[in-house]
Amino acid sequence: MPSITHTWLPLIYLYGVGGIFFLIGMIIIKKSGALNLQRKRHRYWYRVLILGYFYFVAIHTFFTLIAIYW
Amino acid sequence: METHAQNIHQTFHSIGSSTDWIVMVVYFLFVMFFGSYFGKYNRSTKDFFFGGRRFAWWLIAFSIVATGVGSHSFIKYSAKGFQYGFSSTMTYINDWFFIPFFLFGWLPIIVYTRIQSIPEYFEKRFSPSARFLATILLLFYMIGYIGIGFLTLGKAAMPMLPQSFNIFGMEFHTTLMGVIIVIAVITGIYITFGGQTAVIFTDLLQGFILLFAGFLLFFLGISYVGGLDTFWNLLPTEWKLPLADFNKPPDFNFVGIFWQDGVAGSVGFLFMNMGLIMRFMATKSVDEGRKAAAFNILFMLPLSAIVVGNAGWIGKAISVAHPDIVPPNTSPDQIFVVVANIVATPGVFGFIMAALTAALMSTVDTLINATAAIYINDIHRPIKQFLKIKEKTQRETDKKELAAARWSSIIVTALGVVSVLAFKSFPTVYEAHGYFHSTLTPPLVVAIFLGIFWKRFTPAAVITTFIGGVALMILGAEYPNYLIAPFDHGIKMNPVHPYSYIRALYNLVVCSVIGVGVTYADVKIMNFVNRLRKNGNHKQIVIAFTAIAVLLFVFIVLNLFSLSVLLAFEVVLVVLVAIVSYYYIDYDPEAQTTGLTVWSIRKAKEMFKGRKLNEEEGEKVLVNWKLKKEEDGTINFSKRDMERMKAQPGDLVYISDKRKWLGGLKSIHSVYGEPHDEDGVVYISEEDLKNGVFIEGIQLEAEKEM
Repeated sequence: MPSITHTWLPLIYLYGVGGIFFLIGMIIIKKSGALNLQRKRHRYWYRVLILGYFYFVAIHTFFTLIAIYW
Repeated sequence: METHAQNIHQTFHSIGSSTDWIVMVVYFLFVMFFGSYFGKYNRSTKDFFFGGRRFAWWLIAFSIVATGVGSHSFIKYSAKGFQYGFSSTMTYINDWFFIPFFLFGWLPIIVYTRIQSIPEYFEKRFSPSARFLATILLLFYMIGYIGIGFLTLGKAAMPMLPQSFNIFGMEFHTTLMGVIIVIAVITGIYITFGGQTAVIFTDLLQGFILLFAGFLLFFLGISYVGGLDTFWNLLPTEWKLPLADFNKPPDFNFVGIFWQDGVAGSVGFLFMNMGLIMRFMATKSVDEGRKAAAFNILFMLPLSAIVVGNAGWIGKAISVAHPDIVPPNTSPDQIFVVVANIVATPGVFGFIMAALTAALMSTVDTLINATAAIYINDIHRPIKQFLKIKEKTQRETDKKELAAARWSSIIVTALGVVSVLAFKSFPTVYEAHGYFHSTLTPPLVVAIFLGIFWKRFTPAAVITTFIGGVALMILGAEYPNYLIAPFDHGIKMNPVHPYSYIRALYNLVVCSVIGVGVTYADVKIMNFVNRLRKNGNHKQIVIAFTAIAVLLFVFIVLNLFSLSVLLAFEVVLVVLVAIVSYYYIDYDPEAQTTGLTVWSIRKAKEMFKGRKLNEEEGEKVLVNWKLKKEEDGTINFSKRDMERMKAQPGDLVYISDKRKWLGGLKSIHSVYGEPHDEDGVVYISEEDLKNGVFIEGIQLEAEKEM
């Protein structure tokens, strides 16, 4: 079994530190009005952005799990 | 197959057969013919560089594949895949964090402000001096990127070539630089006669072929090793993990690569890579650009990760099962070619190699095209303006600029070849690319980022970020064990190539600290400059400050004193540059942020349209076209069609050939004129018909833009 520094630590760091950048981005574009949730099209993009983040979390988690247990 | 030992790695020559070479030559000729056919759609420098802002998202999304895959090449990811496994391609799946900034910040700004190059943004947002420094840094970045592309191309071609050629009795040894020069000549010829539309369509074709070739190699490799189960079981567990070990080894660790690629590289790729930005600018609207970018990152990059890395994974599996076929000490940068040759039959191997090299050429082509655009916009035009040179007609100006663009493409190609020398000494292309990104992107990344998202960021701060940041980066390179070590996250320093990746974190931090620090010291510096102006000798004093700053910068670059003295010099340098910048630069914070930061995107959109926005959502209409005699810059629809599109005279309209598969190749942007009463008919001027390349009898689809 590989050590945690090769399995979960990189994943936590990636989506923790990367997540901070992502969150700051979401806050700035919403606060500035560049992403205007009153508009239908922008609500669609808002969902795409959030789902995209979790889509990549899921990809990495899935591959880490199958590497270790399959 | 000839082999010989070089250092500890085994290298190969003369891989492949004459059938493979024939396939490669035919493929290249086909691609060049395909690209030059679309060259006819270049009617001006705007078309040559930007493709006329008319394409559908899917066309751009697929054309980006060849650019992205080419630049993040088969060679380097297969190399790391062979050495470390699936984690070799982790950089393909770490770009999403900055996508909100790009989709709703940078992308609308570059489209709505009609900026034609990144340095132009620096002039509008800050000052001409900021533009000058940004141009220098960006040219270094782009030419370095071209150099990396050439290095990769050379390394891809080398294993296929013999160790020496005999031509007319004279023996020529095959050298990496020799191969790169020949490749550069071929690349230069293609781009010079193509232009952006040609590049987009060539890349579109190559995007599909690359994906096909990559997956073909994967399936051939899997069947060669005996099926998916055997392949999976042959790989050690560490090779199957999607991310590298947190902080070891020095030449491939997660945390270093996260900061180098996930942060500096992602922002650099999305915000600074003019080649990519020009692709997004070629989409018909901001929303189409968003779709292209999101689709590319969500779907195309994960698929590309398999395409580019699989040869290394297959190579590792073969080397575990049959070390006599793929020796474990095979040179990592040659593993792609070695594996492709083993698993593919003659002809198929030629096809795979052709797809790979042609894709790499696409990347280099795109970068050369983009660098030529920077030359025209940020050097050629400003110099002409300065010298007050003006042609009589727009047509003449366009003709001369097209010629200058082609010459600059040739010069940029030559400089790209020279820049290979800086990267040749790295053991693999991957490390060379990592070092390149860590070193060249941070000052521009920080400057662009703070410029777009922080209204308070001033010209003095951006110039100090460039000069002071570069000086501190140079000190970091000279004293990595003192300055970069505190950021190393436990990564051991390799004395030959110290901190190739994690230096990006140090560089980003020092540039950010300087930029933010100078902005917050704004009032104090301004007060000092105001007091200075009251002094009778203020001009001489500022000249003296400038001279001292130049001297200090030279001391730092040449590393003439001890570290503590140089750090003290750095502090003085930062203060002096900030003062001199405040003194010389006229800055209007209101005018120079309106429409140029994320906080005023709506204003940018209004400025783009030139009048109040009409955001009512209408439908698309199909119309037949008729010729109108007047050239008044508008096109005219019926009242009913205008009502369906929710459009008013003066609104912006996009009209294209109704055949979706053309992806907007035959289309124009125009303005709604006064309506008429013939439903289903649009009146278009001869000039617009020519620009749109519309065909008689084929309906057009129109939609309101804004």
